Amino acid sequence: MATELWAIGLVVLGSFLGSLGPIYLKKSSKDFCLNPKKLIKNRNLIIGLIFYGIGTALFIPALRGGELSVLYPLVATTYVWVSLWSVKFLNERMNKYKWLGILIIIIGVTFIGIGSM
Amino acid sequence: MATKLWAIFLVLLCTLLTSTAQIIYKIGVKPFNIYLILLGIVIYLITAAILITALKGGELSVLYPIIATSYVWVSLFSPMFFPSDIMNPLKWVGVICIIIGISFIGFGSKMNASTEVV
Repeated sequence: MATELWAIGLVVLGSFLGSLGPIYLKKSSKDFCLNPKKLIKNRNLIIGLIFYGIGTALFIPALRGGELSVLYPLVATTYVWVSLWSVKFLNERMNKYKWLGILIIIIGVTFIGIGSM
Repeated sequence: MATKLWAIFLVLLCTLLTSTAQIIYKIGVKPFNIYLILLGIVIYLITAAILITALKGGELSVLYPIIATSYVWVSLFSPMFFPSDIMNPLKWVGVICIIIGISFIGFGSKMNASTEVV
């Protein structure tokens, strides 16, 4: 089965939007506690879950429409986005080792994708 | 803020639980078993709560890539329940790469921490 363009598009979009989820979840963690009343009021939590949900919703049909050897590494670009966003929005610092780690993870995910076919 | 060890362990626990939930969910889909699917969903929710708690203890750019470990767990455990999902050399290379990659991120995190102005 060749990988359809729409599947690639969904995964790329899903990674981009989905990557915002963890950013908001990290922001929500400061005020996170298991009190239901406080949970609902935690805006960052709600926004984070929505972005995370959108990403997942885009991935699920996409992953059936294409080869995992192509789609898995595209899903793994989420790690790149999250690292970029965390520098921009969370005041975190990246360095060459962290970037190298992400590159190797993407390579690893690619191998798992190929091996899953 | 340097990433705390307990946060890393919590995220690893999350990946273990998520992978378990994924397998339970996959078993519960065919033949359809509502109890297994509900169990999978409950585990997902618990995992989410643990993950957000873990995020209190460190940088997202360090903790989030650890989630890639779930590929490792699923690759190792899925063949036990779905014989068609066999482990093969390509997946082994992938697993090793993911572990190496996460180690580099951990190392990079320590580098950052040692140059932090407190």
